[in-house]
This record gives sequence, structure tokens and C-alpha cells, in this order.
Amino acid sequence: MGMETRSFPGNVDSLDPLRDCIGELAQEAGLSKKSTYNLKVAIDEIATNIILYGYESEKIEGTYRLLSEITENELIVILEDDAKPFNPLENELPDELDLSVPLEEREIGGLGIFLTINGVDDFSYDFSTGKNRNKFIMKKA
Amino acid sequence: MAFKIDSVVAEPVATLTLVGELDSLSARVFQTEIEKLTTRSITTLVLDMEKLDFMSSAGLRVLIFSKQKIGVGLNIFIVKPQELIIDTLEKTGLHHSVTIVDQYPV
Repeated sequence: MGMETRSFPGNVDSLDPLRDCIGELAQEAGLSKKSTYNLKVAIDEIATNIILYGYESEKIEGTYRLLSEITENELIVILEDDAKPFNPLENELPDELDLSVPLEEREIGGLGIFLTINGVDDFSYDFSTGKNRNKFIMKKA
Repeated sequence: MAFKIDSVVAEPVATLTLVGELDSLSARVFQTEIEKLTTRSITTLVLDMEKLDFMSSAGLRVLIFSKQKIGVGLNIFIVKPQELIIDTLEKTGLHHSVTIVDQYPV
């Protein structure tokens, strides 16, 4: 059983086709409309971090890969990149108190990671052989 | 899907219609439209989201930016957001700081 791999350029123009790919995979896996949307948000958020902080701010032109596999019970998606190590789970997440703060007093960080973790059945990260791997698992309905 | 934004300003109300998908690329366009409003006397920002199909945290950040740049007293009305976008607003607590309506004027 192999994973399917697609490659995307490390710029924000790739987000739209990336979400389209996720839509196709989710449909193939038979995910609900809500799960599909939540997975799109999660993937979009992590890909945005890779692009903005891994590549663009470092002035690196690179690519990132979308690896996917549909098993009996799950859709497994991995975003893999060659930028510097970045573990999204080490970011401080907003807690309930932060999320109740009015808009005008909000810090603007952390929301993307919060939506990622909140929206998928499992999220994990590892760095090995020079690659960041962000793994997302959605259980089939 | 491509993102489109249409802006109509009739002081003190600014109405922005957002169509398509709001990600970190299109949020730049949205933010530019908000920046243009900072020189006007705006107290009410109406965001028509009926045809907005996707919004990431980049869109949420522009909402936060709006209130911080245009003014703390700014009233933000979100017109007819899709259910999954309402979910995002609720999860992140932003629904406390905006008013979700079916139409504007209410």
C-alpha cells in the first residue's frame, strides 16, 4: 500500500489547488461536508505556516508535498516540507479565556493551530531526515 | 475558487461583499480594502458572506484587524454566513464581537 504524492510550490497561490485536492480526497474517502471543510481548514492553516514561515520569510523557493492514503477506516494526509524544523504543537494555543477576549484586545496568533487541532480526529508532527511532517487523520463517517 | 470583494462606502456604513474562498492569499486583498476604510468615518462594517465558501484564520485576523484599525467602537455585522463559517466564528469566540444577521439593515 503506497501513499499518493502531489507536489506544490511553496507560495500562497498553491493554497487554492491544495484545497481542491483535499476536496477530491475527502470525496473519495466519503467524508461528510463538515469533516471535509474542517480538514480543508486544517491543511490550509499548516500549509500557510510552511509557506510563510518556512519558505517566504527565509527567502527560500521550495516545494511541499501532499501525501495521502485512504484506508478502510481513515483518510490519512501528510504535509511534508524541507524548511527548518517547525513543530506547530509547540506553539502556545489559545485557551478558553483567550477565546473570550473581545476582538479589539485579541492577540492574532495561535488561531490557525487551534482550528487545525480542533478540526481533525488526530494531528501529529515529526521531523526526521531533514523533513517536517504534519500528519492529519480523519475517521470515515 | 477565486476570491472577489466588492466595497460600497456610504459613511458611516461600509458594506463589503465577500465571494469565494478567503485564505492567506485573498486575506491580503480583504485587508487592503479594510485599510482604505481607516481614512473614512466608518462606525458600521457590514460583511456580506452569503457567497463566501471558505474562511481560514487569515480571514479571522482581518476581522480582528478591522476592529483594531477602524476603531474599537466599530460595529461589525456579518450577513448570512454559511453554517461552517459560523462554526469557525463560534469555535474561536469571535461571534461575541460581531453580530450575525440575515440582512442589513436588520
